[in-house]
Amino acid sequence: MDLEKLENDAIDGVAQLQKQLVDYSASLFEEAFLDEQFNQLQQLQDENNPDFVVEVVSLFFQDAERLVNELAKALDQQCVNYKFVDKSVHQLKGSSSSIGAQRVQRACIAFRNFSEEQNVEGCVKCLQQVKHEYLLVKNKLENLFELQRQVVAAGSSLPR
Amino acid sequence: MAALQRVAQSSVSTTASSYGSCKGGGGVLSPSAAEMAVPDRFPAGLRVLVVDDDTTCLRILELMLLRCLYQVTICSEATVALNLLRERKDCFDVVLSDVHMPDMDGFKLLEHIGLEMDLPVIMMSADGRTSVVMRGIRHGACDFLIKPVREAELKNIWQHVVRKKWNGSKELEHSGSLEDNDPHKRGNNDIEYTSSVNEGTEVSLKGQKKRINAKEDDDGDTENDDMSTSKKPRVVWSVELHQQFVTAVNQLGLDKAVPKRILEMMNVPGLTRENVASHLQKFRLYLKRLNGVAQQQSGIANAFCGPADSNGKLGSLSRFDFPALAASGQIPPQTLAALQAELLGQPAGNLMPATDQPALLHASLQGAKRPPVEHGVPFVQPFIKSQSNVSKQFPQPVISAEDVSPGFGQWRSNNRSTVAPSNYHGGSSALNSNLLMGVVQQEQRQHDRTQQQSALIEPCRSFNVQPSCLVVPSQSSTGFQAGNSPASFNQSISFNKSTVIDYSLLSDQSNNSLNIGHIPTGNLKITGTLGGYSAPGSISPTSCIVNADNNSTSYQNSTATFSDSRELPGVLHNTSNSQGFYVDKSGEMLDQGPLRNLGFVGKETCIPSRFAVDDFESQMSNLNPGRIQVENSGALVKQEPIVDYVDNEKLGIPILQQYSSSDFMSPFTD
Repeated sequence: MDLEKLENDAIDGVAQLQKQLVDYSASLFEEAFLDEQFNQLQQLQDENNPDFVVEVVSLFFQDAERLVNELAKALDQQCVNYKFVDKSVHQLKGSSSSIGAQRVQRACIAFRNFSEEQNVEGCVKCLQQVKHEYLLVKNKLENLFELQRQVVAAGSSLPR
Repeated sequence: MAALQRVAQSSVSTTASSYGSCKGGGGVLSPSAAEMAVPDRFPAGLRVLVVDDDTTCLRILELMLLRCLYQVTICSEATVALNLLRERKDCFDVVLSDVHMPDMDGFKLLEHIGLEMDLPVIMMSADGRTSVVMRGIRHGACDFLIKPVREAELKNIWQHVVRKKWNGSKELEHSGSLEDNDPHKRGNNDIEYTSSVNEGTEVSLKGQKKRINAKEDDDGDTENDDMSTSKKPRVVWSVELHQQFVTAVNQLGLDKAVPKRILEMMNVPGLTRENVASHLQKFRLYLKRLNGVAQQQSGIANAFCGPADSNGKLGSLSRFDFPALAASGQIPPQTLAALQAELLGQPAGNLMPATDQPALLHASLQGAKRPPVEHGVPFVQPFIKSQSNVSKQFPQPVISAEDVSPGFGQWRSNNRSTVAPSNYHGGSSALNSNLLMGVVQQEQRQHDRTQQQSALIEPCRSFNVQPSCLVVPSQSSTGFQAGNSPASFNQSISFNKSTVIDYSLLSDQSNNSLNIGHIPTGNLKITGTLGGYSAPGSISPTSCIVNADNNSTSYQNSTATFSDSRELPGVLHNTSNSQGFYVDKSGEMLDQGPLRNLGFVGKETCIPSRFAVDDFESQMSNLNPGRIQVENSGALVKQEPIVDYVDNEKLGIPILQQYSSSDFMSPFTD
């Protein structure tokens, strides 16, 4: 086999991967799955904290899942504890904004409004929306991380 | 959720320790050390404590702050954080806190910190409504950040530290009334610290130099232990002092209590009218807040009111506490009720006439009718009725007091450990102390914020230092006896328990040290688990993670000693009550002595820079070594394993060792 050709292919492969990564990343921003805050996180990541973004995002998803479950339960009660709902939504809003999950954050804001009005139906709908958004962004981020892993594995560094 | 506590140091800030590290107690803030430390690296090495229940945010902030070259400690529970602060008063320069937290309202925490430690606090929230931000400012926040917070915003938080220091220095200049050495000491500390800061920022404060010189002259004096009279920068309102104050106010009647008359009645040499005035203002605010809290907790209060009949007003105060306490959920209502009953039951003699309280609660608060103040019920607690009880109460393990209501005393409040509801025999006493502390703290905060006047009223302020509070352990004979000067009791009591005690204890006696350390049983846990950061044997490279939840005693990695206990939770201190704090041991805890120095801030241990605790200082020297130990061991500071901790018997709070129980008594004997 032609070694040079192999190398070229490899380089091409890596370049392709990188391009893929960049494109995918850009699309996430365009579609508001992620926002500037996510960039901040990526910039915080460095050789001292190589897995920072993944780590933080994982923390977020853990929290989000817990909160969503608690909210579902709370809204299912006969007598909804809106104080609790409000508090939980606020928390979810805060953490989603911290990682830059913009759509999730927006859904939380809408949710909060219904909660303030004590509109249980509105809340339930919003909760569904929040859940939907968070699952979406979770999936997107997992894809993103996977692409990043591949790029790094191929020997190149992640585009900043 | 488990309290996550971690100290992370940026790789660069290895010298951060020099920058106001808590080590070596007094040495920390020494100008030389400070200057040598990072004079030109400022603001690098700024010691930041971040409190947020959202782990995602916490982690992000941590990294951002590390990138700013700050020394970061993270904590996910407010109570744990407060304990931590109490234990290591001089180990932090600024606090970043979220507003919405499950165990304690961020604003309350803010007030506590302001009263007890007078640290700059920056609030954060995803909720950026004007009303919320306004509330933050009213409660004394130096700044308010809206989430998501960006690194750029964090870069400049050092300005708040500097500003506070400078304002503090200015106070020194203005408060010139008494030239006691004590004041100088305090002033010096502040100055020194400021100097170091200034060094970094290339600002020269000539006045400071002068003060430093003056201070040195006064060094000869050794009046520290007593109530520090007018210190230049602040008067240390030791338990005794506060007690006298409360007594005087009670006698005069809150409405009629004017600084001049109070001063005359107190008859404390070296105390100035300004000191008293400032303290009075704080006290009033505190009462007011209590009142507010009480009102909120009307339900609980009612329950409590019952027993308080005898004390009339006092009862009301107690009420405040309890509600707050109960509200905090830390202390079961029944316990509170019991405590209250005890407190109230006490002959009202000691306690300030109930009337005072209501009156005190006038709207001196600047416009901010704050929501119930949970600060531990301030003062009014009946004097220690059962001193002995008190001491017992706090069984060392206080830590179990997860429920310790915040009301109890500021000191304890966050620390779950201190107040173990079950432990309270004298419950009341504990409460008292708490109350006092709370009050004191409240006021302190208020005042400090508005004007840094002398009265550094530290939590000790609790008015009626009810012996019950932790503090009074054995000493019943001394101060606590209700019969004795109530003043004395209060002072000591309240403080000990709560975090405050830490401070005072340290300075005066070992007791204090413990108290502070007290890591709420539930909260601070220096669990061996440390988040996997450091293996038990080793401290995690840069972060000490303290899992409050775990009561695991293992202190971070190595310190096995810590563990168990009870209390240790929390971060560093395992101080657990074993020693100073709670009295349980030998009753030392309550030694008034420690309280005296308590002042709010536990100056003693960490570098008293700020508070220039006279008493502490002298004693601190002893502590320092201990302190360092703490530091090391404590995860908070840097990752070093705290081996020393274990030394203290109980918790292995090194600091405690320093003090001798006898010291505690001294204040009271005064």
